[in-house]
Amino acid sequence: MRKANSLTKFLRLIYVLLIVVPTFAGFTYALLHSLGLTGLLTDGLTLKYWSEALRDFYMWKSIGFSFLIAVISVFLSFCIALFLVLKLTDDFQKKWFHRLLFLPLCFPATVMAFYVMQTFSKSGFLSRLSFQFGWIDHIESFPELTNDAYGIGIMLTSVLLVFPFFTLFLKNIFDAERLQDYGLIAQSLGAKPRHAFWKISLALLWQKSKSTVVLYIIFVMGSYEVPLLLGRQNPQMITPRIVDKAQRFNLHDIPQAYVMALIYLFLVLLLISLMSTRFVQFFKKKTHA
Amino acid sequence: MRILKYISRLILLFSLVACQADREPQAIDLSQLSWDQVVEKGQSQKLSMMMWKGDPKINAYMQNYIKPHVKEKYNIELEIVSGQGNTLVQSLMNEIQADVDQSQIDLVWINGETFYQLRQIDALFGPWIDKAPHAKLIDFDNPFIGKDFQQDIEGYEMPWGNVQMTLIYNSDQVQDLPQTRSELLTFVKSHPGKFTFDHHFTGLTFMKSLLIDIAGQEELAGDFDADKYEKFSADLFAYLNKLKSYLWRKGEVFPEDVAQMHQLFAAGELWFTMSNNDAEVDNKISEGLFTKDARAYVPDFGSIQNSHYLGIPRKSAHQYSAMLVINEMISPAAQLHKMQPEVWGDGSVLSPEKLSETMQEKWKNTRMRTNAPPRSVIQKKALQELAPEYMIRLADDFQEKILQQ
Repeated sequence: MRKANSLTKFLRLIYVLLIVVPTFAGFTYALLHSLGLTGLLTDGLTLKYWSEALRDFYMWKSIGFSFLIAVISVFLSFCIALFLVLKLTDDFQKKWFHRLLFLPLCFPATVMAFYVMQTFSKSGFLSRLSFQFGWIDHIESFPELTNDAYGIGIMLTSVLLVFPFFTLFLKNIFDAERLQDYGLIAQSLGAKPRHAFWKISLALLWQKSKSTVVLYIIFVMGSYEVPLLLGRQNPQMITPRIVDKAQRFNLHDIPQAYVMALIYLFLVLLLISLMSTRFVQFFKKKTHA
Repeated sequence: MRILKYISRLILLFSLVACQADREPQAIDLSQLSWDQVVEKGQSQKLSMMMWKGDPKINAYMQNYIKPHVKEKYNIELEIVSGQGNTLVQSLMNEIQADVDQSQIDLVWINGETFYQLRQIDALFGPWIDKAPHAKLIDFDNPFIGKDFQQDIEGYEMPWGNVQMTLIYNSDQVQDLPQTRSELLTFVKSHPGKFTFDHHFTGLTFMKSLLIDIAGQEELAGDFDADKYEKFSADLFAYLNKLKSYLWRKGEVFPEDVAQMHQLFAAGELWFTMSNNDAEVDNKISEGLFTKDARAYVPDFGSIQNSHYLGIPRKSAHQYSAMLVINEMISPAAQLHKMQPEVWGDGSVLSPEKLSETMQEKWKNTRMRTNAPPRSVIQKKALQELAPEYMIRLADDFQEKILQQ
């Protein structure tokens, strides 16, 4: 028993050393930098970086754009996963289906973004194919699907990267909760398939996966490589905007980049705290399982 | 509560570590040393060089020529790591702030804007360049070499190569080359979507050429002048706004960097790309990225010619070794090899008349460029770099007046 306690204490210490301290140190450093209290070119305590950042319309636009991209991407991924789990239930028994499903998981984000660029850009594979088949008059007539104003290329890549995770996640819930059996029982008691879907399958799947959906929204919101390659400078997702600010030619812009990072961090923490009850339940369930 | 106790203990520990006595490496007094002593102190060491690794030909030159050469001559192990511009500046800045014992970087490849930033934070070792024997062969009187973005190099960085910006075009599609600002506007208007520039270093260099064309070289020479910038940049942005809707993707998006522009050019989406290296068109043709129809030229309004340099971080623990490597990198043999279009095609910083007769002969017999314009032709249209603050302001204003409009 004592040995087990020591091990727990040791693991806690490792957790604090590897996770809590670096995160806290990074946060403190960013805060000090944003207030002009550290940095080689600082002139001392100032709130000007905060005031400039808070008044920067394009920073708020970037945060809003990132949120929108993330919500749409995760929603689409969830829908695709739902369709696969509910409608292609039998295919999950087949090896080829598994392999096909796991395929997008093999691609790192940058490679997937590059693949989307090569396939869907104006001079990409689909554009050339459409031109060869005579569906478009000029290669340039192909619609803008990358570096576009609506972030279509970013969303497409994010969906390709995220939907396999959701599929596996929903499939596990589907099997563990025996949703197919519940659906059949409901139908044998007179419920229409549509009702069984909305009232039983979807309701349960959504209940069990809400927290994961929020975590994935946060994950997609913070993506960097994909919007860097497939996005545009306006509107721009928040992470490339922060990096751009930090790595521009003006060293005096660095504190403002830290402010932007802190504001973004604060908003993400707010989102997590709003969902905190749900997260506590999520972990409790996991522990009890 | 226990976690908070752990954290407070750890923070205390970190504070104690941070409060160590200053461990600045001992300053080197070069005036007391001969070059032989530098050689003695610098050989048989491991050296880390940070440089831009985005060009396979440059990487191959470093890996296959410079690395084996310094290994053989001085038994120096040269390790090359990727990094440039702000990555490099921030690495050195963090090291200075953390008061580290010695830098992880011993040698850096930089240009004027990075030099300006590194001097701002006092990150470079120097002055030292007079000590290197091959520095005597450099043409420091040439303002394109002896000055970096209008700044005196003051012995803190060694010129390594010299290049001039060129516009690369597809000769199959473009016959009448736009030579002036108004011709460029007319051309872009009549061929919408086929021209653009990136929104980083190369694009900003192109914009600086336009700014100089508007203001005149003499007007903007010397230190940064905010009033002059305001006056002439207003005309520049008015011009760019006229171009904007006819640029690639109607100027709503700009390529991230020149590599993306090259890809778009190779795919036929653009008819023009650009490069800061006047010989790059030959490189890219030999790599198979561009077709043989690609050509490069400098319009009559001129283009910026500048040099790139090598520096040694102040906190490097291998400053002698770095001096030895740099001295070899500017040797006539290394510079001649680098000049070959199939190797790199980088312009030399050496003054040919200061070389030995044998070397001068070899210099003359260097393989000629094919699709890149001869240096003697574009030299006449060379513009000097502006003070670094012009670039900082242009980058900010481009964001505000073009990207966010």
